[in-house]
Amino acid sequence: MLSSPIASQWFLGRADLDTLVQALRADGRRVIGPTVADGAIVYDEIGSAAELPSGWTDTQAPGRYRAAETGGDRVFDHTAGPTSWKRFTFPPVLELTVSHGEDFGFEQPAREIPPMAFLGVRACELAALGLQDRVFLGGQFTDEDYRGRRNAALVVAVQCSRANATCFCTSMGTGPEVRAGYDLLLTELAEGFVVEAGSPAGTAILQRLPARRATHAEMGAAVDSVEACRASMGEPLPMAGIHERLLAQLDNPRWAEVAERCLDCGNCTLSCPTCFCTATVERSDLDGRTSTSERLWDSCFDAGFARVAGGDFRSRSRDRYRQWLTHKFGTWMDQFSSLGCVGCGRCVTWCPVGIDVREELMAIAPPLAPTVEPEPVRPAAASPGAYSVARVSAVRLETSDTATLSLTDLDPAFLAGRPGQFAMVALPAFPAVPISISRYRPNGIDLTIRAAGPTTTALVNLKRGAKVGVRGPLGTWWPIEQAYGRHAVVVAGGVGLPPLRGLVDQLLAERERFSSVALFYGARTPADQVFADELKALAARDDIQVALTVDRAGPDWKGRVGVVTQLFDQVNCDCGRMTAFVCGPERMMQATVQTLIGRGVAPERIFVSLERHMECGIGLCGHCQMGRFFVCKDGPVFRLTQLGDTFNREGI
Amino acid sequence: MALAPPEPRVDARPVEDHRSVIAMLHETWFGSELPPETQDRLASLASIIAFEAAEELLREGAETTRMGIVLDGRLALHQVVPGRGPVTILSVEPGDIFGWSVLTPPYRASSTVLATQPGRAIVFGGAALRTALAADHALAASLYPRVLQAVGRRLAATRLQLLDLFAS
Repeated sequence: MLSSPIASQWFLGRADLDTLVQALRADGRRVIGPTVADGAIVYDEIGSAAELPSGWTDTQAPGRYRAAETGGDRVFDHTAGPTSWKRFTFPPVLELTVSHGEDFGFEQPAREIPPMAFLGVRACELAALGLQDRVFLGGQFTDEDYRGRRNAALVVAVQCSRANATCFCTSMGTGPEVRAGYDLLLTELAEGFVVEAGSPAGTAILQRLPARRATHAEMGAAVDSVEACRASMGEPLPMAGIHERLLAQLDNPRWAEVAERCLDCGNCTLSCPTCFCTATVERSDLDGRTSTSERLWDSCFDAGFARVAGGDFRSRSRDRYRQWLTHKFGTWMDQFSSLGCVGCGRCVTWCPVGIDVREELMAIAPPLAPTVEPEPVRPAAASPGAYSVARVSAVRLETSDTATLSLTDLDPAFLAGRPGQFAMVALPAFPAVPISISRYRPNGIDLTIRAAGPTTTALVNLKRGAKVGVRGPLGTWWPIEQAYGRHAVVVAGGVGLPPLRGLVDQLLAERERFSSVALFYGARTPADQVFADELKALAARDDIQVALTVDRAGPDWKGRVGVVTQLFDQVNCDCGRMTAFVCGPERMMQATVQTLIGRGVAPERIFVSLERHMECGIGLCGHCQMGRFFVCKDGPVFRLTQLGDTFNREGI
Repeated sequence: MALAPPEPRVDARPVEDHRSVIAMLHETWFGSELPPETQDRLASLASIIAFEAAEELLREGAETTRMGIVLDGRLALHQVVPGRGPVTILSVEPGDIFGWSVLTPPYRASSTVLATQPGRAIVFGGAALRTALAADHALAASLYPRVLQAVGRRLAATRLQLLDLFAS
């Protein structure tokens, strides 16, 4: 007898494998395992280990499957075949109700679910069972037939020792090694099998087998064979952020291209071990007395899958392919907190035209440039009065009273700043003023300043080469990640544009992360527009929508006249997927926010930048207090919902 | 016994043309939420015009001869201030209306409507539109609130402009 088999490894000789099959059968279990049928290695009921595919292997490629006899005596040298275990936990046809003509009623057939044992479950397939558990058992409503079958199945897992060209479990993080979810786990070596138990039921079986303790060499060889399998699969696909990447690509032209090749046959969904869609069909006896309601596997590629009386929601092949791919690798995450793919590669192998889901995924939602998590911004010269001296490298007049100073020779801390932050700027003999940073350059920053008081007037009159004292970067920044995968809309009014200019730079630098990018800017008159040349250049680009308006204009102005909120009349997108960044006079922001909310933008996806009297810039002087916040330290950028009813309230 | 009001003249346009006017109307902000029968009725009163840049569609103080919905292009509403020349108060973008003073006495335009970008508009002759509205109360009941909404939006925007929020 074995003393303590859990968490220890045992060895079962190859000739004794049938003792496992017979032990399972002796418990009254139907044993289902790989066997050769119809030129393929499929899962079906077996009576003995002799029915396993001893000496068989398979080669798979996009649109290609061949099972071949290679000699030898290994039984698990194949990979995922045309059948998956869902056939036994979630049968292709299931009788739901029977109605008899005599009396009105819906009778549920009594179901006997005999105990089963799944022999040869791979890591990807265990993950698939786990995903179907979430779908069928993890929510408010459950599938009791599935529960019954799942509970009736004892799982004997097998480590993969080889991979096919279609395998990509390493990309999905599901394999090749089996980690959990099994009763027994086998690793096939030349002479036999290293066996581990993963549950009390597995232990009970293991105790009845003629197994001995595995040697260190055997345990090492077991680890090596899985690692060799992993190495043979090469680099995993870059899947980070695939959910957002994919959902930002609903308008990608590739959907139409792949639909040119796709036959809408549904092989991918039927061979997929996680696809769970079904159709209910009614069958009547010829005598018309008995009718049966049956649940069948369905496919979202079926032409009528999304049809209603008035039409078809996904009438085109491209709609259906997009539905499938965005569900598996996108919205499945929203529904079940996990991607819906396990990387078994069946959809690649069994696609008659060899569409490779990996290739489509990377073409439609390519990996994003790696984001380096920026170091927390540590301002230079943080204490009041501790200014570092920078040099003005360029001065550019924006309007009659506004200029942009480019600063260089800065403390390097400034270069790590983020769009939306500000600097305290001082000249000797002038009080310091907060100025938002309107651009980050490789070797400096821009400050855009309107002459409104003595310091700002002195600043806009500085010449190239002049020196200024700066502290910063200070305050909060625009949370650009809140717009990933969404429509990013930047709304600026008057001199509210400078704090947003760096954000526009960043949005365009990471353009592929957003469904769309738009800039709406309202100024008093055409002559009051800041960055006028840049705005013209932006308007000529096709990756950003630019809409400008002015409050009043002379006869020469051919552009829009009206307030910035009117620009939203022209917006035609799903506002529920919009993130807005707003800066301007508070009353203008309030009108904008009302318009945005009226159009369906979620208040928690609206960000505003507030202006208050700031003297220290670091939350010590008390001037900029607004309700619960010091605007300099807790802002200036706030999420609208943070502000509650203090936003735009008189006298706060 | 009261006489039935005179039947408004209906253009003898081909059916396909009528449908395409309804489709154009439906695409606009102004027309999109009007009931189908109103869209149908308006389309029968409508004609499509093209305008060139700098073309004057209505003149401040003169009789408003037509009301229109901009399909594309851009119109500017001008008012003249002696000594300052014309000032643009508002641009009318696709989907929005011009010439709403055709509906209220004294039927005179409150500003000059000048095209700043070439485009097209759906237009309704003033007299025909008033006759149709007087005869068909269902039409009037569905059209007037939409006109009031368009004018109200303009009023709200004008108030914001009046605040001169971007002033120094």
